[in-house]
Amino acid sequence: MPNTVILALGNPLRGDDGVGAAVLEQLGRSALPKTVALLDGGTVGLALVLLLNPYQHAIIIDAAAMGEPPGTWRRFSLAEVCLQAHDMALRGTLHYAGLAEALLLGEALNMLPPQITIFGIQPAVTTWEIGLSNAVQAAVPSVCTAILELLNYGENTCH
Amino acid sequence: MNREISVNVHHLTRVEGHGNIVVDVRNGELKTCELQIVETPRFFEAMLRGRAYLESSHITSRICGICAVGHATASLRATEKALGVTPSPQTVALRKLNFHGEILDSHVLHVYMLVAPDFLGVGSVIPLARTAPNVVLRALRMKKLAGDLCKVISGRHTHPISMTVGGFTSFPKMGDLEELHQRLIAVRSDVDATVELYRTLPLPQFERDTEFVALHKPDEYCFIDGVIKSSDGYEYPIEAYRDITNETIVPHSSAKHTRHKRESYMVGALARFNVNYAQLHPRAKQAAALLGIQPKISKPYYNSAAQVVEIVHCVEDAIQLVEQLLTQGVRYEPPAAPTRFSGEGVGAADVPRGTLFHNYVIEDGKVVGANCIIPTGQNLANIEADMRALVPTLLARTQAEITHALEMLVRAYDPCISCSTHLLDVRFEG
Repeated sequence: MPNTVILALGNPLRGDDGVGAAVLEQLGRSALPKTVALLDGGTVGLALVLLLNPYQHAIIIDAAAMGEPPGTWRRFSLAEVCLQAHDMALRGTLHYAGLAEALLLGEALNMLPPQITIFGIQPAVTTWEIGLSNAVQAAVPSVCTAILELLNYGENTCH
Repeated sequence: MNREISVNVHHLTRVEGHGNIVVDVRNGELKTCELQIVETPRFFEAMLRGRAYLESSHITSRICGICAVGHATASLRATEKALGVTPSPQTVALRKLNFHGEILDSHVLHVYMLVAPDFLGVGSVIPLARTAPNVVLRALRMKKLAGDLCKVISGRHTHPISMTVGGFTSFPKMGDLEELHQRLIAVRSDVDATVELYRTLPLPQFERDTEFVALHKPDEYCFIDGVIKSSDGYEYPIEAYRDITNETIVPHSSAKHTRHKRESYMVGALARFNVNYAQLHPRAKQAAALLGIQPKISKPYYNSAAQVVEIVHCVEDAIQLVEQLLTQGVRYEPPAAPTRFSGEGVGAADVPRGTLFHNYVIEDGKVVGANCIIPTGQNLANIEADMRALVPTLLARTQAEITHALEMLVRAYDPCISCSTHLLDVRFEG
């Protein structure tokens, strides 16, 4: 039974928002431990809480607006990053619930896996088109390598 | 009362899409009372022109990420009627089951995530998760089952992939149906808890008589096909939908308004409940009794209660449909073939928010004309009529309370604003 899930989020029809799916596809061709499950969450919304719940460790890959040059990626733990969760009381629509809202809900329900690692990749384009920009495509192998190192050596790998 | 009130809610929350509420009271007299729809039209009807008939359901299911099965179903029925296609009894049963999944998914989202926070004293579902985690977990569980049901029947949660003109391109496995059956039986306790929750919520008693319109069949609680029936006693074949909808353009809305014989009419769960109460499953009727509602009920805030009744009905009917499929077995069937490649057809489905019409003209297998009339568009005039009746009763309250009451009213209709904005038909004559 897998205890770690690698979850891709994002919509491949929105340009670089498909980076999670691209990383997942490349990881699928690698030799992974049997304890690791791969999952494409797409644009799952709040049900993310239920998807993550069975696992001890969740590695989430998503495009992230970090104000960095396109293709730059970073690894964070949940505690390390102040996610820009939209104020749902004000903005309120659940039809656009994303990772930040789902993690907030999971936290409120006390249902999140003990360990969550987020790989955020800065997109160049998120308009309606299929395929990654060159800068983001070029980042895919190094994100995969970092995830494999994380799986093999744990959190102490330095990035 | 010489009261001056100016309510201006820019981008109403906890509804799908963008709409504004504008109310202006001067010297105690209501001057302006509008639900402004500010989204841009989406041109789906124009997109269909020139496309092959097999593509229509896949394109139009993208009108909505919530009622994608509803759009696909109405679309398929329009195409099938245009091309003389008769789906098999198995196809009809699978489509009904899939439809129940979507009604459940949408209603659970609305009654738990969008409406309940108003009554449980929280601003959204996230603080609700802290104060009442069991309520939120129940909603997530029920939504997951609804989504999984759609996935088993039509290949994925949203935007059904295996529904096609004349039938299905793949079929559920017996093991999946057996698992679905067990989960549907098990969810009954969550359904009962939903009814219990809504028994305790103080839904506003505001009442305004109006006309209710829904699809109707004599022998089942109708979601697909049937006739158009109104609580005022009118009945039309689906092909005569324009006699009900009479679309008009209003200056403050990029979605058209509709009216029948009165100034407005209502579609959706409350309309279906009023028109089709006799066809509800007995357990759904019990739930209605527990919630204290019976037809004809003209309290718009009770649309959410009618949705709870439909949750009960859809779970019970889904159980019966799955049992029927398990008993008879699901056979591989090639889709029923068209008997012609040119013609016109109107498909109708009563989707979560009300009656949806798709009307296509097809020539030599290609769509040459399309018209889609969406439930929220039909409800806009009725929402405004409610607002005009409600505001004068609220003048003693604070502006914040008035605003909240109006927001809750609009939200009760579960409006899907992105869906309802569509192309204005401009013709130049000369």
